[in-house]
Amino acid sequence: MKVTIKLVGPFRDGRFKENVREYPSAVSVLEVVDELRIPRPLLGIVLINDIHARIEDELHDGDTLCLLPLLDGG
Amino acid sequence: MKCFTSDPASEPASVLYARCTVDLGSGKTRYEDVPCRNLEDVLGGFGRSFQILAERDIRDAYCDANPLIVNTGLLTGSSAMTGLRTYFSGYSPIKESRKGLPAAIWSTGSGNFGAKFKWTGLDELIFENRSPEPVYALIRESVDGPVVELKPAGHLVGLSTHAKMMALQNEYGSNAHFAAIGQAGEQWENVYMGAVALSTDNQLKSGEDKMRFAGRGGMGSLMGYKNLLALVAQSSDKIKPLTAEVKKVNINVVKGGGSARLQPISRGGGGGTWAAYDVMQVFNAVPVNNFRPQGNDLPEKLFRENVEPQFVIKSEACFRCGITCHNNVHEKRGDGSAGRFLAKFDYEPLNLLGTNLGIHDAAQAASLIHLSDNYGMDSISLGVTVSYVLSYNERHPEQPLLNGARFGEYAGIRELVEQAGTGNLPEIGHGSKRLSESTGETSYAYHVKGLELPAYQPETNPGYAWAIAGGHMSMGTYGLLTREGKSDMDSWVEGITRTKLQIVGFDMIGLCKFFDITKGICTQMVVDCIKSEFDMDVTAEDLAAAVRRAFLRGLALELRQGYEKSEYTLPAEVWERPNQNIKLPNITSPEFIAELQKRVWEIFEPELEGLLPEIGQKGR
Repeated sequence: MKVTIKLVGPFRDGRFKENVREYPSAVSVLEVVDELRIPRPLLGIVLINDIHARIEDELHDGDTLCLLPLLDGG
Repeated sequence: MKCFTSDPASEPASVLYARCTVDLGSGKTRYEDVPCRNLEDVLGGFGRSFQILAERDIRDAYCDANPLIVNTGLLTGSSAMTGLRTYFSGYSPIKESRKGLPAAIWSTGSGNFGAKFKWTGLDELIFENRSPEPVYALIRESVDGPVVELKPAGHLVGLSTHAKMMALQNEYGSNAHFAAIGQAGEQWENVYMGAVALSTDNQLKSGEDKMRFAGRGGMGSLMGYKNLLALVAQSSDKIKPLTAEVKKVNINVVKGGGSARLQPISRGGGGGTWAAYDVMQVFNAVPVNNFRPQGNDLPEKLFRENVEPQFVIKSEACFRCGITCHNNVHEKRGDGSAGRFLAKFDYEPLNLLGTNLGIHDAAQAASLIHLSDNYGMDSISLGVTVSYVLSYNERHPEQPLLNGARFGEYAGIRELVEQAGTGNLPEIGHGSKRLSESTGETSYAYHVKGLELPAYQPETNPGYAWAIAGGHMSMGTYGLLTREGKSDMDSWVEGITRTKLQIVGFDMIGLCKFFDITKGICTQMVVDCIKSEFDMDVTAEDLAAAVRRAFLRGLALELRQGYEKSEYTLPAEVWERPNQNIKLPNITSPEFIAELQKRVWEIFEPELEGLLPEIGQKGR
């Protein structure tokens, strides 16, 4: 299945800003995060189709997954 | 601090802290060891200072009875990482209730001043009355204990924060650190948003103006009113040898994940608070043109990735801090090396003196931050008040305010900052509440309870209403919607009344919030540090209860200073002109706010009873 992955901030370094990628059906957010070698402690926000989601959630064909770093302080 | 118990929660009076009271009018000093009343006193910071402030009936911030309290936290100067905080407390010249009474406030910053202050042997310094002439205070160690002396400060008058510190460094050498106001604080009558700058090792060694700030609430202006231009803390370093327990905690602070976003990108971190730009932009929630995000990519111009090619960005740190959250921006020379230091890019000042003014050029934003820092102004209050002026001018092109500057007009905006910083524009120096009341257009003045909002859209954080010392750093709900995706009433009531208020614990104990901003101070890490440094047994539950009492005391003190419940709200523009560009659920409708107010007060109100001493009561 095809999933659009959007990366934000430092997650783009050495990776990409947006990419449509092929995954097996029912892949989880966590599996995508690990596949992209995004450090888990830095992962703050997960959006699936612009809605907040959990790292355990499964993705479906045509989904857009956006991975954002932590938001703490300012 | 003298500790005669291992159980300070049950026996607080067996812990004594060292206080010096200075009468600036007569020059007399009094030294005493003060027994703690409760665990809040033991922890320090605003947990202690607000109990002192609550004993006084203050109706004008600029009166002699309003003290300036300088203190530290239990872990300031300890071997625990980030233990560098100094706290400045008093009744605020800028934060006032609708009835016109000043609110109690604290402000805090890092740098090395706090540790040096603690190492002189002093825990608290109270300045009473005001000096007839400009003075600075020298706090030094001696064989008989800490000594505080007032010195003539005529040679410091008119100097910037940084220049004052450089002048004092010439006098006191490498064993001293400094807290100083700039021209803004000296012009206290026309500037209510003066900050106190705190010197850093990096600054004193490099000569570059890399200070830290206790910015919020106008404590620099209160210092200026008192004719107190600077503080010098002179002491040998007295940091304890690192124990295995604290070493483990410090490693956890750096590697345990709590500070991951704040660490340099080169180390796999998120690159400091600047990275909030990238996160907030996904939701179209980066403030633009006085908190009106437009749903376009304008904020991206100040993304790090777009700034970095033209500048050298140094990842630097506070003394002994492994988090290394500073992004110090320098000019880039032809050979690629670092040239002149321009400014430290943190999310708040960069946004509020950049994108939110329509300034999208990094060099121009850096220049405004640099001016704000050197005049010694709170960059949040300054930026938001200027953005109000620009917004007014956009709405009234025929009869604009002041110099008529508009969003994005750098020269005009710079002129406003310079005039305000030197005390020549009280319209800006007095803050957005007073200015908007004078124009009659209050709905788009982005303050809550008289203190300007930081760079998180109010649409994302109705918790601002219950912040007791301004913005997000005294009510940690700013990420509840954006980060955690919570838009239901129960989550917001729970966040405001229980979990997120705990953020203020950092403003008691002497640690920076980045020690563990998500979990607060009620953790085993802090328990272990207290045990190791003082042989005190305190539980996480003890800490949580003390932090809650301190927060509620702050809330009770607001109410006593005349705040009405209707003031616990957001700028009206939020619901009068809902911003459809923000891609988050709407949690700031009048109905949502009304229900939130009802439920929050139902929880808070019964707990406020009996928290404050009687006015005029002498605690000791």
